[in-house]
Formats: sequence, structure tokens, C-alpha cells
Amino acid sequence: MPSTMKTLSRLQEIVGEANLIKDRDRLKAYKLDGKTPKVVVSPATVDETSRVVAYAYEKGLALVPRGNGTKMKMGGIPKRVDILLSTTRLNRITDKDCDNLTLCVESGITLDEVQKTLAREGRGYFLPLDPPFSDKATLGGIVATNASGPKRLLYGTARDLITGMKTVFPNGDVVVSGGKTVKNVSGYDMCKLLIGSFGTLGIICEMTFRLLPLPEKEATLLLSFQKLEQADGFVREIISSQLIPASIETLNRPALDYLKRQIPLSTDGNYLVAIGLEGVREGVERQMAEIGERGKRYGCVNAEAMDGEEGEAFWKALRDFSIWSDPDLISLKSNFFLSKHGEMIASYERMTAESGVRSALICHSGNGILYSHLLTAKVSRSKAEVLAGLIQKMTLEAVKNGGNLIVESAPSSLKKRIDVWGEARSDLRIMQRIKEEMDPRRILNPGRFVGGI
Amino acid sequence: MEREKMVEELAGIVGKENVLSSETDLLLYGYDASLFRGRPDCIVLPGSTEEVSKIVKFARANGIHIVARGSGTNLSGGTIPTQGGIVLHFSRMNRVLEIDIENQRAVVEPGIFTLVLKNQLARYGYIYQPDPASEKVSTLGGNFGENSGGPHCLKYGVTTNHILGAEVVLYDGEVIQVGGKALDHPGYDLTGVLVGSEGTLGIATKLILRIMPKPEAVKTMLAIYNSLEDAGRTVSAIIADGIIPATLEMIDRLTIKAVEESIHAGFPLDAEAVLLIELDGLKDGMERLAERIMEICRKNNVREVKVAKTEAERAQLWAGRRGAFGAVARLRPNYFVCDGTVPRTRLPEVLTRVMEIGRRYGLAIANVFHAGDGNLHPLILFDERNEEELRKVHLAGSEILKLCADAGGTISGEHGIGTEKMKEMLFVFNSQDIAAMKKVKKAFDPEDVYNPGKVLPEQTLSA
Repeated sequence: MPSTMKTLSRLQEIVGEANLIKDRDRLKAYKLDGKTPKVVVSPATVDETSRVVAYAYEKGLALVPRGNGTKMKMGGIPKRVDILLSTTRLNRITDKDCDNLTLCVESGITLDEVQKTLAREGRGYFLPLDPPFSDKATLGGIVATNASGPKRLLYGTARDLITGMKTVFPNGDVVVSGGKTVKNVSGYDMCKLLIGSFGTLGIICEMTFRLLPLPEKEATLLLSFQKLEQADGFVREIISSQLIPASIETLNRPALDYLKRQIPLSTDGNYLVAIGLEGVREGVERQMAEIGERGKRYGCVNAEAMDGEEGEAFWKALRDFSIWSDPDLISLKSNFFLSKHGEMIASYERMTAESGVRSALICHSGNGILYSHLLTAKVSRSKAEVLAGLIQKMTLEAVKNGGNLIVESAPSSLKKRIDVWGEARSDLRIMQRIKEEMDPRRILNPGRFVGGI
Repeated sequence: MEREKMVEELAGIVGKENVLSSETDLLLYGYDASLFRGRPDCIVLPGSTEEVSKIVKFARANGIHIVARGSGTNLSGGTIPTQGGIVLHFSRMNRVLEIDIENQRAVVEPGIFTLVLKNQLARYGYIYQPDPASEKVSTLGGNFGENSGGPHCLKYGVTTNHILGAEVVLYDGEVIQVGGKALDHPGYDLTGVLVGSEGTLGIATKLILRIMPKPEAVKTMLAIYNSLEDAGRTVSAIIADGIIPATLEMIDRLTIKAVEESIHAGFPLDAEAVLLIELDGLKDGMERLAERIMEICRKNNVREVKVAKTEAERAQLWAGRRGAFGAVARLRPNYFVCDGTVPRTRLPEVLTRVMEIGRRYGLAIANVFHAGDGNLHPLILFDERNEEELRKVHLAGSEILKLCADAGGTISGEHGIGTEKMKEMLFVFNSQDIAAMKKVKKAFDPEDVYNPGKVLPEQTLSA
């Protein structure tokens, strides 16, 4: 390993003094599971990024990419952290082609900024992704972690929306994948490999997305139920119908209580089903009426309709749920078979109650994805043991129901005791082989991904 | 290894009747729907994943290549055994293993015809969206390997958006599961990489597909034009106006003539182009959307818009579109399908230049394609016995792909690279881009057991 002085001066040559942080006090803010990087660099171009990465590769320095840091609690404890590469200066829109419904942006731009720009264009457009913290989250971070939100039911996730990418590979190569057209089978679909790769295969610098015109009308319907069976039955009927909601979320009581502290909600039941509708005006109106009717048949005790700003405030509060919870919040993401919706919620409620932990559950009901936020005060050593056991049980439950469990946020003391990426599967071997081929020196985000990748 | 010995060993795995090696067989499995020819050493019809695994282990141990194939509707030579070896034909592994309505998934073996699954789903009111024109005979395993498209992909996305997982036999015979019925499994999206990898990375022996309730309503329209450019402008205007129909297909004069002579779909013979536009989804508001589309058509000098009034009328229009390649095949002994894609706004000008290329080489070109996606399919007509003409076809085809690449598009929208377009890969990718793909190949198949010499051009091997 080269001397720190030498590394710093080389990196400074590439990005300029103003775009490099080496002061120890300032570096503390970038601490990752207790490990402080030696330097933070913010390249302004793809070329600068490539030179930083090539240098790290040459010297075998561990490099951790970061956007605005909304997901830095995700992932395993890093093996090493030498250079933290911030993408925040890569923040340009490089090609806005609304007539063609495509947009090419650099990775450090925030989603909200992109949406604001698109909404002002012509008839109004948007990028159909709605992950948490859209005011802070950068598109690079969203894509690298494959973050998504309630509207994925209608629009899919990054894998359905990205047509092209420009990435700096571990050896510094600038690699172009895909292109600008929505259909493309020229060579391997490298974009799929990079989406959700958690910065372990390359630094995503630029992405091309499919856009959509803003919908004519949006509406939100909140239906509350006393019993889980009612909410579950209702949700599953909507999913198997010909209706086309944009989102279907089911919340339990603790999640609802938390939300109510943030926004006014008249609803009062043990389970809330929130349905987002958008599209052609007539279609939204008809679905509002029909879904309300179907809700009644399942024993809905209260229905509340929202539109415009009120609805948007609700969805934002729901998406950004974890931001105003305890600092020690533990967030888990489980996937499972659609048909196990009710069972998963019931068993998670039972398991957490048995461990004496309050859990706010929010479920993408139409996708089979359940977020559990364990609401607990400071995690002591003995408590960490209990929580580790609980998470293990919850993971096995998800596996039993066809899925797995990812710990999206947890204090380091807990991370040490569990595998934050859930149970290993038979495809791990190929994942490790891919990492080996692409990043033989293991410089990118070492130790933070699946199977210790 | 001597063929006799190879056949004997393989017969030990799958039974004698499932290993083919007669002269006729070697000829039959030496070609697909492209212009290329090869010659396998033998053909094996496996009956189970376990058999596939054993065959692969045997092949690897003896340095024999394997090319997996379904019905051979491949248009880019991806299923040609260019370096000999075993052709694995999946006709026996053609079962629907599970139609799981509750979870909105279907699990199938790779050899099943796409349409066979769809017909079974229809009984439940469900649909698997991708609809390659050859779906009557194309297999889902082939669709997986090629990441096939089809008209409805405009709204619903291509095969990769509908495949959620697979059981895959690796180059050393190990069987792994990628993805699954549930979404968002942790780790790299290997399913996404395998789809469209043209059988070069692994062999899928089981596929997990997304199925969805059939849309409530459908409306199909035929817009008739006196000019190809006007039709092209209508396409970009509809998209720019923010309407995404389920399909937006274009058929030109020469294709119309061929279709009417063989299928009688009701396309007007004196038109320069027609657009087949379909809306689907909720019935509410559909009339108004259709009216908006018709207004855009009128602004772009449409001659007439016909609306299908019955399911029979709709089926007839679609029969014309689906049968178009076959119909065009009647015009000359051979045709060559190009498969370039351009940003939709560039369609009118690119179409004009495609026709110019045809004129320059003295070749007739018929156009029938997925206009809404910007996915062109110029069909160049020729006679392969005329060597000079064949040479021109390849030159014109390559020039059309260059044109697409230069317009900001790409060299294959849905037919793959295969054997045919490896050279053209360099129109859109540089050696670093291709070197990255080669690392993926090396990670999955370090010994080059599967479908060697396809997709990635050789010259950058050292990069």
C-alpha cells in the first residue's frame, strides 16, 4: 500500500484540492460501520472517475461509492474503506429527449431534481420510480441498490426502466452498456447485472431511463380494516382483478400510528390498505368507486379519499417512513410469494411480539415485499442477541414462503451477528465468479454485498 | 471423439431413440431461420434436467461444444452449430409444470411453444404478454435465450420483463436456481443477464414467468396512409403526445401486397403504409384515447382509420401482421430480416434512407415492424442462388444497421447477434464494452462449452 501522503497528492491531482476531503474531523461524517475513510473524493466527470478508480485498482485501495448517503446503513460491514468516492458532482442531465420518452442523467443528481425538470417540459413527464427519500437519494444510489417504492406495482423497477448505462469498471475502463432505445438485444444485458450490484462491480456514472407522460389524474384511497384476514382478502381480490392500481400498500397498527404523528389521517382501524390510482381520468374515477365498493364487502370500517397535494403528502410520508423513527431503527425487507401476504404479516407480528419488539409493517401487497421496521431503543449487547435471533427467525419464515430477508438498516453491533443479505442460495457461486472476473483485486465496496462479495 | 462413440455414450444417458445422427438429421439441425449453415456431430433430445446435466458433464469432459435450441426460429444464426458438437433440442421438455394463478406465475419447461402456454392461460383469463410473431412455434426457452420481443412489448416490455427466474444447468453440469416466483432476491440479477445471452452462458431447464389478468378491454384500429413518411410521423407524434398504445405496428406497400395475396387481412392494396394500433386496459376512457389517436392520424394526413368492430375483425387484422414474414417469403425465394432499432423520433428519416439503400443496391425491401418501439424490420428480398445478389444483401443489411447505430439506435432490437452480427457489434460497442461482456462469459462458462463463437466478436478477445 502506498503512503497516505502519496495517495492524497495523486488523487488531488485528479479532482483538484477543493474536491477532496482529508481533514480527520470532516472525514468522521463519512464513517461507515465504525470505519473512517482516509479520503473522500468528488470527481466531476466520467473521466476523472475513471482515473480515480484506475488509481485505486493499481494500488489495491478499497473504494466505496456514495451518493447522498441515504443507504449507507445497508450492506455488510466493509472489510476496508480507503477512498470514499462521492458522485455528487456528477449531477448533469446529459440528454433530455421527452418526445422520445428517454432521459439520460449522471448518477449524482437527485430524483426530485429530475422530476421537477421533467414536469416542466412540454405536456409534463416523469421518471416512474418512487423510492424513499427522493429529495436526497441520487439516481446512481437508487439504481445501485435497486431501490423502489409503492408505484412499482404499475411501473416496475429500475430493471424495467433503464435502457442504457455508462459505468467505470474496477480497472478504470469506461464501459457503455445498452443504449437509448427501449428494445435492445445487442450483446449481454450488462445493465441488469449492474442494477442492484451495490457498487461492487462498477461505479455507475450515467443512466438512460424510459420516461412517461404525467398521468391525467391521480387519486388515493385509504381503507381500514379491523382484521388482517379482511385486509388480506380485499387486497388479494384487487390484485387478481382487471383493475390496474398504481400501488397497493398494507400497513399494520404501529405503522399507522407513526404515520398519524406526521400527517392528519382520519382512519382508524388495525390495518390500513392504501391504494394509489393514476392514469386516464375516467379509469381513475371508475376504480375509485369500484374499489370502495369491494372494500365494503370485506368489512372496511372507514374509507378516505385523497387527491392532489394531500395524497402526495401521504405517499411521501409512507415512502420516507424510516426517516423520522428512532436513530437505532432496524429496517428489514422480506420478499415472498404473493399468496403468502396474510401469513407473512401475521407471523411477523407474532414473532416480533414474542420478542417484545414493536414492529411497524408496511407491505407492497401487489409485489410480495414486506418492510418491517423494528422500533426499539438503543441496541444493547443483550438486546442485540435477542434481535439477531428474531431476524434469523423472520428470515427463515420468508425463505419458507419463497423469499428471503435483507437487513436494510441496523447498527453495527447487530450486523456483526447476522448475515444482512439473508440465506445464501445456489446462485451465489456464479455471483462470486462474476465478482472475481470483474474485480479480481476486490477494490469496490469489499465485504458489503451478498456472500461477502 | 468419434461420432459413433459419442452417440453410444449419449444414448446411455437419454436412450438410443433420443440421439439423432443420420445425415438428414445433421442437415436438419444445421440451420435455423437465418442464412447460416452448420453441421452438428449429433442431436440429443433430453427428457429432464438431470439428463441435461449429465450430457453437459459428458460434453465438458470430452471437449465437445453444446448448442441448445428450440424450434430454430432464430433469425441471427444463434442456434447454428458453427463449430460442430452436440445440438440439444428441447422438444421433449415441453411441459407446463405449473400455472399458479394465486401467485401470478407460470413454471414451464423450455421446449414448450409460446402459444401453447398462452392458450392454457386463456382458460383462466390470464396472459403472458410477450408475443413474438413466431409464437405459434417458437419455444419459451428460445424466447428466453433471445429476449424476444413482439408487438405488445411496446406497452408491456420484452421477454426479460416477464421472466422472473430459471433453473439453469452450468457448464460443469451443476444445477442452480436464479430468481424465483418472488421478486427482488438478494444479489446480482443473474436472470436478467441470462435472458438474451443466446445460450452462451447456461442452459435453462425451467422458466418462471410472470402472468397477469387479461386486460378488460381492447380496441384495434387500422390507419391507412398514402405515404410512408406520414405513417412514420404519426408514430412519433402519438408517442410524443404521451400515449403508449399496446401496439403500434407499421406495414408498408410491398408487405401489404404480399399479405393480401396470401392471407386477405383486408389491408388496402393501393396504400403506401398502414399502422396497426391497439389500445388495451380499462374500458373507461378508451374511446376518448382512441379519438385522440385518430386526431393525430388526421393531422398527419391519414387516408382512413378503420376500427375493428368484432373479435373476428381484430383477429383478421392480426393474422395479416403475424403472417407478414411468411407472406413476404412468397415474393422471392429468400428474404433477409434486418432488426435495427432507432429512437422513435428518428423513424421517418431512417425509413426514407433504408429505402434509398435498397434502391442503391437494386434490392426490393419490404417493411413490417414494431414502429412504436423504433424497431425496424426491413426484409430484403433475394435469391440465394444468385451469389452477387446475396453479397449485396449482406452489404445492404450491414449498411442499414450502421444507419440505425448512427441515428442513436442499435443493431438488434429483438433477434439477437448470433453468428450474423458479431462484426456489427463494433458499430455500437468499443473493445472495453465487449471486454466487460467477455468477463461475464468467462464467469459463467470459462471453458467455452456453450454455443462458442457467438455474440461477442473475436478480435477483441485479448482486450
